[in-house]
Amino acid sequence: MVLTGLRAVPGFAFATARLFGLQSAWSYERMLGIGVAHAMEPLLRPLRDVDGGVRYRDALVREAQFFNAHPYVTSIAIGAAARAELDGEAPERIERLRQALCGPLGALGDRLMWAGWLPACSAIGLILVACGAGGWGVAAFLVLYNVVHVVLRVWGLRAGWRAGMRVAAALAHPVLHRALEVVGPVAALAVGCALPMVLVWATHGAGLHLPWWLTWRHLVAAGVGAGAFALLAARLGTRLTGLRLATVVLAVAAVGGMLWR
Amino acid sequence: MSPGELAGVTAVGVVVGVDLVTFPQAMTSRPLVAAFVGGWILGHPMVGLLAGVVMELFALETLPVGAARYPDWGPPAAAAGALLADGVRAGGGEGAWPGILATILVAALAAWLGGWSLHLIRRANGAAIGRYAERLARGDPGALVRLQAGGFARDVLRAAALTLVTLVPGGILARFLAARWNAPAGIAEDVVLAVALGAAAWSAWRLFARGSTGRWLAAGLAAGCAGALLWF
Repeated sequence: MVLTGLRAVPGFAFATARLFGLQSAWSYERMLGIGVAHAMEPLLRPLRDVDGGVRYRDALVREAQFFNAHPYVTSIAIGAAARAELDGEAPERIERLRQALCGPLGALGDRLMWAGWLPACSAIGLILVACGAGGWGVAAFLVLYNVVHVVLRVWGLRAGWRAGMRVAAALAHPVLHRALEVVGPVAALAVGCALPMVLVWATHGAGLHLPWWLTWRHLVAAGVGAGAFALLAARLGTRLTGLRLATVVLAVAAVGGMLWR
Repeated sequence: MSPGELAGVTAVGVVVGVDLVTFPQAMTSRPLVAAFVGGWILGHPMVGLLAGVVMELFALETLPVGAARYPDWGPPAAAAGALLADGVRAGGGEGAWPGILATILVAALAAWLGGWSLHLIRRANGAAIGRYAERLARGDPGALVRLQAGGFARDVLRAAALTLVTLVPGGILARFLAARWNAPAGIAEDVVLAVALGAAAWSAWRLFARGSTGRWLAAGLAAGCAGALLWF
């Protein structure tokens, strides 16, 4: 029996809400699997009345298996797989669809959001704070970031649902491709712009009102810091992270400040 | 800090800690947001914002990618903002940079601890899935709900513990270090800004220096320098 169309639509509101908690039961064994099945379950409810609920339970078992992708665009896979389950596609085809989507959705989300939109919005927030926006800079960061975040999750669910097994068409959407082209340069520009402005704000604009030569002293200190970091990074490679460097240098400085005579 | 304020900051720590992975990943866990709110709870949002900006520079490299172990800055940042605001309220506004240095050091240690706590939560989630294996194999939707709720509850407890660890023993350590700072306060400021900008510059380099985005990074740096000169 094939179930498609509006009969499943009432589940969308619940499924959409559950998308935001996809990673609640994240584990190394199944990664997003439990969250995917939990979010998809409202869309699968029409199957409860089919074959005594066997198809519904079989679908839940299948969808709770291992799945790994970026959490925001996993909604595309959830919509597509739910549609395929309701369309009565063969279980092997649905499993292949899930496996095939992991890599592309992970790469898409990581490039678009983690390496693009997140640093871009963070930098824009920092620039606004540096320009004197105060808490409004923080609010602007949250609003900017979450407009795209929420739209991506909701659009993904609907696009996946519309496409079903032909979900590759949703991934080839021209807006997504354009966004991938634009987001990297926007993030690079914003982060580059934020660094000097934050430095001057932290020394000058945050109520300290230092003379200009003191501000430039900090610029030199920051340049030395960045240079030292680059030199250390060249020697230590990826083992050097901002957190490790911060912890070590700040700890050394704290002890040095205590021993100062 | 009164018990009510402690509870308020812990509640903020829980919200931002759970946000990192579990719900809803709206980036309230970024230190820029968490430290600002932590400072605001104690009546000095701008002090929290200053700490948040510095920690955000450290956290630019923190991208919550899947199975990787990354620091959890949210609860420590909320606590750090509150600790600094509490210090200002107690009359420690003058020469605040040693206090900022010590508090950010404590927050960085706590963020590192937070990364490990996430790893433990993931393993606990895996163990819970093992306990529900039989119900999952039957396609029981109740098992999914219980696993999701259990994971959420574990993360709430983790975030609360991380916030309290930063606030109480972390706060004592930060006050101890700041009170014994003998060097000029300007040195603390230089160190904090040099490390923060250095870490941020390195993150920007790693993220954007390769390929066509390198040109945009250079253009942004030039625009930022010009903007700083014109604005301040």
